[in-house]
Amino acid sequence: MNHTSPSVSADGVASAEARLSAALVACGRGERSGIGDILDVEGRQLLGVARRMLQRRELAEEALQDAMVQVWRKAAQFRVGEGSARGWIYAVLRNRCLNILRDDRRLSIVPPEDLTAMQDARQDAASEDVWQGLPTSDRLRGCLETLEPETRRCVLLAHVAGYSHGEIAAQRRVPLGTAKSWIRRGLLSLRECLS
Amino acid sequence: MTRPIDELADEFVLGLLEDRDAAEVERRLAADPALGLAVARARDRYLSLDLTAIPEDLPDGFAERIGAEIDRDEGTGAASASMPAANENRPRRLAPRWIAAAAALIAFVVGTGIGWQVNQSEPVVIAVLLDETGTPRAMVEDFGNDTARVRFLADVDVPDGRVMEVWTLPSADRGPVSLGILDAVGPAVLHGPDLPAPAGDQLYEITLEQAGGSPTGRPTGPIVAKGYAAPQI
Repeated sequence: MNHTSPSVSADGVASAEARLSAALVACGRGERSGIGDILDVEGRQLLGVARRMLQRRELAEEALQDAMVQVWRKAAQFRVGEGSARGWIYAVLRNRCLNILRDDRRLSIVPPEDLTAMQDARQDAASEDVWQGLPTSDRLRGCLETLEPETRRCVLLAHVAGYSHGEIAAQRRVPLGTAKSWIRRGLLSLRECLS
Repeated sequence: MTRPIDELADEFVLGLLEDRDAAEVERRLAADPALGLAVARARDRYLSLDLTAIPEDLPDGFAERIGAEIDRDEGTGAASASMPAANENRPRRLAPRWIAAAAALIAFVVGTGIGWQVNQSEPVVIAVLLDETGTPRAMVEDFGNDTARVRFLADVDVPDGRVMEVWTLPSADRGPVSLGILDAVGPAVLHGPDLPAPAGDQLYEITLEQAGGSPTGRPTGPIVAKGYAAPQI
């Protein structure tokens, strides 16, 4: 994978976070400029995440648009100091993407052959390249490296491609309970490794 | 739900929880700082994976598109970012002494068949709505076909020029949705918008709104009563 982000320096990350946090506070006060600020700082990356999860450009744009409306509505719930603004915004977007993926009626407008291609591409999007694309300084990268490959694959399918437990079990051809316990164990290992 | 809070938070953030469990976490978040912190930590734990996606250029005029969507969402265009989300001012858990009373009331009202039948069908969920003192004020039976029946269990003082509006929260993501307006205290059948089938523990509430209903499409007035759905079938 051509890893083009995030090549910003630590200072760049800090200042982006400060701008995003200020933008959320502005949205919470009813100031529309907050939406523009979020798009300026993070819009391209957010659309990239939606595209990776949904594959189809029009779905990705729809997801980001809906997510930004949600950000506007819920911004007052963001508490400065309780996690990053960036994490909060991506969570809203991911949630919207997952809703689209799990809404059969929503996906029914996608032609069946395109849907198959889309599902295959999602699977590929959660490849080993993803975590190997993390900067070597990123602790999550080191922690993912310590996982069993099969466990790591399940965690990446869930996070990067938005797979459900059931989809992961089907894709890995294991019983549902096995998939669940692999993921649970993987997430526990990551928490312990990162703590 | 007695699972370790960090495990729950991780699975919530990754979207691995069943809908019902995810809705429960959403609901607890506003009132449970420890859970809020665990979820915030989980969000940040995997954030760097999101930053590995290849950025894409936004289409021209995207910010304007979002602005127009927000205008549409807010109807009149009035800022409502600080609107009281239904899950932000949740009632205390059911006071135990009222659970028995509410159950008896449901048995009485349902058993005696007061009112009329709605297509002879059974409600998918029933919610008893309590006021701030924990007194049952109303009952909502949601039939899952975008039809809900409201009955009052106690009088409600509706000031002149105000109406009661009935809301539900199908998901925290979607936010509160109006099921309809009641001009007076009395049994009523409401035909709301097309919503997913109601689920156990789904929030229902009645607020006082200006004549014609909430101007923003979201609850804005004082809460008359609220309660959580109990599945019936």
